Amino acid sequence: MTVLELRAVRHSFGGQPALTGFDIEVSAGEVVAMVGLNGAGKTTALRALAGRLRAEEGSAAVLGHDPIGLPARAARHFGQFLGAPLAYRELTVRENLLAAGRLHGLDRAGVVGAADVAIERFQLAGWAGRAAGTLSAGNWQRLGVACATLHGPRALILDEPTNALDPAGVVIVRDVVRALASRGAGVLVSSHHLDEVSRIAGRIVVVHGGRVIGTLTPGGTELERRFFAMVLDADMGRGEA
Amino acid sequence: MTDRVESWSWAAGFHATWSVEALKLRRSVIARLITPLLVGLVPLAAIGAVALARSPALPGAAAAKFLPYATGDLAATHLLVVGQLLSVATLTAGGFAAAWSYGREFSDGTAGALIGLPAGPATVGLTKALLLAGWLGVCVVAAIMITLVASVAVGGEPGVLAWRNAADGAVAGLLAVGLALPFAWVASLTRSPLGTIGVLIAIVAVTQIVVVLGAGAWFPYAVPSLLTGMGGPQAAAEIQPGALGLTAAVAPLAILAVVRYWRRLNDV
Repeated sequence: MTVLELRAVRHSFGGQPALTGFDIEVSAGEVVAMVGLNGAGKTTALRALAGRLRAEEGSAAVLGHDPIGLPARAARHFGQFLGAPLAYRELTVRENLLAAGRLHGLDRAGVVGAADVAIERFQLAGWAGRAAGTLSAGNWQRLGVACATLHGPRALILDEPTNALDPAGVVIVRDVVRALASRGAGVLVSSHHLDEVSRIAGRIVVVHGGRVIGTLTPGGTELERRFFAMVLDADMGRGEA
Repeated sequence: MTDRVESWSWAAGFHATWSVEALKLRRSVIARLITPLLVGLVPLAAIGAVALARSPALPGAAAAKFLPYATGDLAATHLLVVGQLLSVATLTAGGFAAAWSYGREFSDGTAGALIGLPAGPATVGLTKALLLAGWLGVCVVAAIMITLVASVAVGGEPGVLAWRNAADGAVAGLLAVGLALPFAWVASLTRSPLGTIGVLIAIVAVTQIVVVLGAGAWFPYAVPSLLTGMGGPQAAAEIQPGALGLTAAVAPLAILAVVRYWRRLNDV
């Protein structure tokens, strides 16, 4: 079952093409990583997929529904960490988790347990009662990913979820993503860290020039070389066209 | 990663959003500033202004300024002044609060994270407006009640005129609450708290000009102040029920505009 999908999506900003026919599909239980250079279109694609950007052409689907006006029954199974997290600096870490759980559809009883689990899993116990605004960048990012995942989504989008994390935080996020996928969630994660995505993803798609130009098989020692070769081929192919 | 409650309704989404937005408001610096300002400083200023007006030590220029409050029933004057202060303070405070509540979601980047939730962004937009209106409305009523109690404490004896002034003050304050709600739309549209404050200042300036030109009786942003006698008894008498209705209509129209904008929230 496909849980996240973009089909022939095109979008431009002020005449500058950002997405030029973007296609991607993530199935239940699958972790797909998106890699690409800065400005390749990864974040724009994720925003279109999350319903945060109305693309000029093409279609998007989250759990089979248009993400623009996602129905509540689907939204309760959707999570996103994309840019600023669903967290507020004036609230404590625990309050943020409780708020995120409530907003994701957990009831009053369930949300307390979910927040406790998230605090333990993301190793935030030492800061649980502190205002989130006082957290380090790494712990703020841990909180953000925790807020996006504590409701156990079946469709999850993560944009650069580990870029501010220390090695321990990276392992935590990796474990959470794997745990969700093992329970049937489809996860689409964008990252610059080829080594990291190689460990987490079952499939790596390469984004360049606003579209997916190919797929890399995780693992091996030549991942970086294969990535650049694919990007170079795409550029040369465009130049010849 | 927990079991879910399978039943879900718009009411459940609204309730969840309300509880979260109320927590954000309670924790905010702006609520911690505005609440004591409206329910503490405004009644204190009303009592103090009347005491000053009736003080023989007041110098000439100031005495002339405070002359309208120098005579007449003490309690009625206290409540007249608090109504006048609330008509201005509530609009200003409400404008700042709306600029923060809506604008911060864009300046902090959290507006996008409010997309794709079960309640939907339109519910977030609606909840924020209702919460602001409810909180400021409670502040207005509390300020008048506190002034009434304080007036009695300093020797006032509330009679018919005092209660009428209290009612006018409450109406003016609540109308001002409604007039603050368009700034929620402005903050959403501009995506900037500071830009919204700029528009608020511009509206206050335009209101002054409209009043000077003599058209204030039908200009919603001038009506609350004129109703409480800030333009004199004659200007207050010129406020027609239609003008009150027009002013009251601003709030629901603002809420509709905000909900419509948030329903179509894009590029966040």
